[in-house]
Amino acid sequence: MSDITVFAADKFITMDPNMPEATHVAVRDGRVLAIGDAQCADAWGPVQHDDRLKGATVLPGLIEGHAHMMAGAIWRYAYVGYHDRIDPEGKLWPGLPDADAVVTGLKDYAKGLESDAPIVGWGFDPIFLTSERLSRDHLDQISPDRPIAIIFSNFHLMCVNSRALEMAGYDAGTNVEGVIMGQNGRPTGELQEMAAMFPIMRRLGIDFRGLSQTPEAIRAYAKVAQRAGVTTITDLFSSMEDEDVDVMLEVTSGDFPLRIVPVLGAMGDPATIADKAERLAKRSTDKLRMGAVKLMTDGSIQGWTARVRWPGYIGGQPNGMWNTAPEAIYALCAEMQARGIQMHIHVNGDEAAEVSLDAIEAALSAHPGQGHRHVLQHCQMMDRDLYERAAELGCCTNIFSNHIWYFGDQHVALTLGEDRAHRMDAARSALDAGVPIALHSDAPVTPLGPLFTAWCAVNRRTMSGRVLGAVQCLTVPEALYAITMGAAFTLKLDSEIGSISVGKRADFAVLGDDPTGVDPMALKDISVLGTVSGGTVHLL
Amino acid sequence: MSLPLTVIGGYLGAGKTTLINRLLAEDHGLQLLIMVNDFGAINVDASLIEAAGDDMIALSNGCVCCTMGADLFLAIGDVLDRDLRPDHLVIEASGIADPAAIARVAIAEPDLVYGGVVTVVDALEYDRLSNDPQIGAQVRGQVDVADVVVVSKTDGGAWPEALGVAAVPLAEIDVVGPLVCGMTPAQVPEGLATHPSYVRWHGTMRGAVERSDLIARLEARPVGLFRMKGFVSAPQGRVWEVHCVGRQVTVKEGSGPLGLVGIGLSGRVKRSQLDNWWRGFDL
Repeated sequence: MSDITVFAADKFITMDPNMPEATHVAVRDGRVLAIGDAQCADAWGPVQHDDRLKGATVLPGLIEGHAHMMAGAIWRYAYVGYHDRIDPEGKLWPGLPDADAVVTGLKDYAKGLESDAPIVGWGFDPIFLTSERLSRDHLDQISPDRPIAIIFSNFHLMCVNSRALEMAGYDAGTNVEGVIMGQNGRPTGELQEMAAMFPIMRRLGIDFRGLSQTPEAIRAYAKVAQRAGVTTITDLFSSMEDEDVDVMLEVTSGDFPLRIVPVLGAMGDPATIADKAERLAKRSTDKLRMGAVKLMTDGSIQGWTARVRWPGYIGGQPNGMWNTAPEAIYALCAEMQARGIQMHIHVNGDEAAEVSLDAIEAALSAHPGQGHRHVLQHCQMMDRDLYERAAELGCCTNIFSNHIWYFGDQHVALTLGEDRAHRMDAARSALDAGVPIALHSDAPVTPLGPLFTAWCAVNRRTMSGRVLGAVQCLTVPEALYAITMGAAFTLKLDSEIGSISVGKRADFAVLGDDPTGVDPMALKDISVLGTVSGGTVHLL
Repeated sequence: MSLPLTVIGGYLGAGKTTLINRLLAEDHGLQLLIMVNDFGAINVDASLIEAAGDDMIALSNGCVCCTMGADLFLAIGDVLDRDLRPDHLVIEASGIADPAAIARVAIAEPDLVYGGVVTVVDALEYDRLSNDPQIGAQVRGQVDVADVVVVSKTDGGAWPEALGVAAVPLAEIDVVGPLVCGMTPAQVPEGLATHPSYVRWHGTMRGAVERSDLIARLEARPVGLFRMKGFVSAPQGRVWEVHCVGRQVTVKEGSGPLGLVGIGLSGRVKRSQLDNWWRGFDL
């Protein structure tokens, strides 16, 4: 049998300008051997033809540059968010628009559980609610006997029922900041921040660690990715103890359909973190790429915890908070730059972006060197001047385009106002400044789906249907490039993936329609039929 | 008995590790578990070390110091799930963290009890840092939530003018254990009780007391008595477990030998004040 497989498709869109389209791609040893027509690989010897992709449009495997592994295993809990969402098994979970819908939805869900099993929900976001706040009284309608906890989409809040409050010992006599009390003097069920949520999580066995380091979590992540056409994905703030790496290496070996790029969370002593990143890099395999680090700087804009430049938040809220002190950001940047370690730096607010660029500039002065490709992540408030500086410093930016649709209206009304909301997630400014870009979902914060993310960057529609900052819209080809080659570049993998080019991994996204042929507003509706990873076909 | 949790806060370089190194080395008779951010800065006399690994050291005085790993709250859960819990859990907050956001878990979680927030301030740097446009608010916040503020680097008479609250110079305290962890009636060595840095007080009560009455009286205690713990008779033969640190008063059902002990810093509270307050209370 031949070791060359020639795949036929309706169209391969290669993202390689030398051969932008083709009808056939030949694969050998998991890599692209030839591109062209049915005879493209004949010079290499006998071939076998594979028609499983026939009728499909094939893109390079899509690349998600900013997501979190819990996007897979979080589905062990019941989804109760506002928007429709599809789980790793392909089941549609319809959006629940108000508290009553959450009650009805979870009553149905409870029918499949044992009578005393806890119910844990996730994805609820009160920012979309116009009705009253979710409370214990709603959740008691689902069941007064079994404990129920609804984790909000930001993971900083939850709402629990009376049984769960009782298990934690929360009652009218409780005086704990974060345990919200109602006018009747008893807890409403809403719990804010980890300290108040901890007694519930402990008693209900809610374990965020188990959402990312177990074999099941890693496999669930791969399923979510496959449904989105993604063949390479990050886990952008990983703890990665030695035993975690053992598990990841084991699970990702063989025909695993996903390349994972876990990025080490950088909190603490810079030299210790750099040592660990270097050790991890040495254990990398094709499907598991380690060695980069992630810095946290500020919080989130919709949580009013991002660090924002003058004039701050329109509601007059205090100016956010640092999760890493500016001087610690400087120290981390200096160490990582000196050691040649790539950084991904979380920056939501523009002050956080500015401080991070200052720190990179200082690090580059002290430790000159090219090709570092440090990546600013989220970049939600960066404007032209910050993108120009990013270009000067050789940085990349990975832009949180999904925010435009999910939170754009809220940013206009509640956080930044009309004017600055127009330049949020300013992908056009980035390209004009010459900064390499990727676009991301931050899954599970918003759903994984690079085609949807590209749709956001192209159309800049909000949930209310308006266009937010039309001048920042990308073209479809620009957005498709960003979710393939652009993202590959930010991960320093552009020599291996990101386009269908001879020598690169045979990683493909198999689509039901041609994204360059449909109305740009239909980009998000294109069906994903599956992926090809290293030449192995994984259709849904 | 619930596990007491004390959080040590303070900005980068304030002297948190100095305080922890002293706490580890002291002969306080408590089996402490101390979770730190930066294990490399821990420095104790080699003769005290019984066992050492990449992320923990165990000392001959029963103390263990370890890194907290990726998730602080999971680490706290792991400690609570152990068969043998330490006498006291001490957590070093990161330099930019709000120590109260961590300490609050001890008020929320029934198996923990609030042991207070000790914030360390650098005498030479605090005035600058607390007015810094980028981090001033968070640095001031660490002081605002403290039950005890300790000032480091006061040699040469340095003192942070911007502090605005009562604070203790670290150099003037000869043992830090009572300040950070308090002491339990059973375990405190007699020598420590008469230590010059501290005023020690103890009291007993004959009759049973309602919870609300007890709390009201405890809240009225002289402010210089910054730590108090013990057991008090409750109606129907039950027993109240009492923990007071700074402004926080915790009273819950428990069991143990009746009696309360408290400590304050010498020069900040007098025995006579304490006895006067208690006399009105001794039913």
